[in-house]
Amino acid sequence: MEPSLFSKPRDLFTDVVNPRDYVQIDSVSHMYQSLKTSVQKPLKMILLYGRPGTGKSMLLHKLHHDLSKHQKVCMIDIPIIDEDDFLRVLAQKVYSYASREALTLTRFLELSSAVNFPVIPIVLLDEAQLYSAALMEKIRLISDARALKFVITLHKTDNEDIIAKEHFQTRIWESIELQNASHEELKIYIQKKLLKANCFDVANMINEKNIKLISKLTRGNYRESNKLMFALFSLYAWYEEHNPSKIKYNSLSTKYIEMAAIHTGLINA
Amino acid sequence: MLDISKLEHRWLKYKIKSILPYAAILAVIIISIITFSFLMFNKTTTIPMVTSKKEDLKVKTPVPVPSINDENSMLLEPSMQFLQSMSGSTPLVESVPTTPVPVVPIKRSLPLAQVQAQTDTVPPIVKPPQVPVVKGKLTSIKRDDAAFDIHELEERFKNNSNPNLGLYIARYHYDHANYTESYNYALKTNGINATMDESWLIFAKSLVKLGKEDQAKKTLQLYISNSNSQNAKNYLNTLTKEYSK
Ligand SMILES: Nc1ncnc2c1ncn2[C@@H]1O[C@H](COP(=O)(O)OP(=O)(O)OP(=O)(O)O)[C@@H](O)[C@H]1O
Ligand SMILES: [Mg+2]
Repeated sequence: MEPSLFSKPRDLFTDVVNPRDYVQIDSVSHMYQSLKTSVQKPLKMILLYGRPGTGKSMLLHKLHHDLSKHQKVCMIDIPIIDEDDFLRVLAQKVYSYASREALTLTRFLELSSAVNFPVIPIVLLDEAQLYSAALMEKIRLISDARALKFVITLHKTDNEDIIAKEHFQTRIWESIELQNASHEELKIYIQKKLLKANCFDVANMINEKNIKLISKLTRGNYRESNKLMFALFSLYAWYEEHNPSKIKYNSLSTKYIEMAAIHTGLINA
Repeated sequence: MLDISKLEHRWLKYKIKSILPYAAILAVIIISIITFSFLMFNKTTTIPMVTSKKEDLKVKTPVPVPSINDENSMLLEPSMQFLQSMSGSTPLVESVPTTPVPVVPIKRSLPLAQVQAQTDTVPPIVKPPQVPVVKGKLTSIKRDDAAFDIHELEERFKNNSNPNLGLYIARYHYDHANYTESYNYALKTNGINATMDESWLIFAKSLVKLGKEDQAKKTLQLYISNSNSQNAKNYLNTLTKEYSK
């Protein structure tokens, strides 16, 4: 197949989390900076929360990527729900201690005092809403003992305000909330993604009106925006191949944006 | 994968559905106009002030769907007194046109209550797109453009001379009212690829902003003689009209 003008932009918006694709957005950068300083504070545990698709995993992976140059950092992006398994995997990952049996908390803490790191190792836990309260308590004890430092991410859903949940109320938590992008931020997000990948011609097609519509449809949610842009450029790639005369190159077509929104379910039709 | 024809079909249905409320409003307005002119033609008596009191009441508690009778009595207002009282409240009426209802010619003469009732019948989906969807945190986004590193792009343009990037930068500067810069970058872009309509337009528009309309016109004429571009012709026409006044 002919390489399409739109296939590259389309692939930019696949929903994957790769720190190399991290796009710097002002408000997110502020949070990222405060996250990096918080990480240096002893004892505090850090909570990154926000609605689905606001970039929590992305920020966590970026943190992992940047910090691992200087210190021991370990990422657990798929939650280990089994309590015994959790300590075993942690010991393996952080202290390279291989064990077939389950570890008790006491044994784990003994291990950690036996191994000396110049700075406290950092453990990043994604999707922590899946951990049980008992396991969260263990995590807190490990943090209290200064064995490890934790940064965790949590979904914020409509029906339960996680922050109100008991074990996150204590003062040991430092919370950072991620939000959907504003209109301006979404514009920067989309444009930067395209420009970074040298898709200048497509970047030139996007005007204020297009961004307004996209941001209205996706409410600035990064994941929804990715999905919409992916569908949109798939549409464009299709028209380019089958009906090129329909494409206007001076701006994105409102009709196609709406069609993409229908396809992804943002518009109910 | 995408089923384009089905998607186009669904889009059409969606479009019709979203246009329907406007069509309904338009129909109501047309009917009111017809009734109005009909009654104007038949009656020549003026209306007692009692009705305008009724209006005041209505303004405070807008009724979602105006009944035909109410409208008629409201519309029967040929007295000068009424018109004067209306002109006092023009700003309110003027603030309404954000509703994308194509009724411009009669808007001024529409009684307040009716205008309000009209806006009330508009369902939430058809709210004008200008309504910002941004949630909170407005203060933190005002300098966001600073996060956009145009200098980095300019460096890249120096190295790769990609005309699309040149155009992008020119547009960026034009949008930020840096007309000398947009002029420069459009010029460079035209030097690399002389067939890009938009780059020529930005070049000409920058010249206009810099107060050099004549040069802008000459440039456009030159470009049109080479490219026969319709966009350029249109812009040249507007320019000629604007600056011959
Ligand atoms: N700053 C950013 N730079 C680049 N891509 C981003 C950024 N923020 C978010 N994204 C993209 O948006 C999508 C959603 O982000 P992410 O998966 O991090 O959301 P999340 O908050 O972890 O959602 P969930 O709560 O469902 O896990 C991802 O594809 C990610 O690549
Ligand atoms: Mg996530």
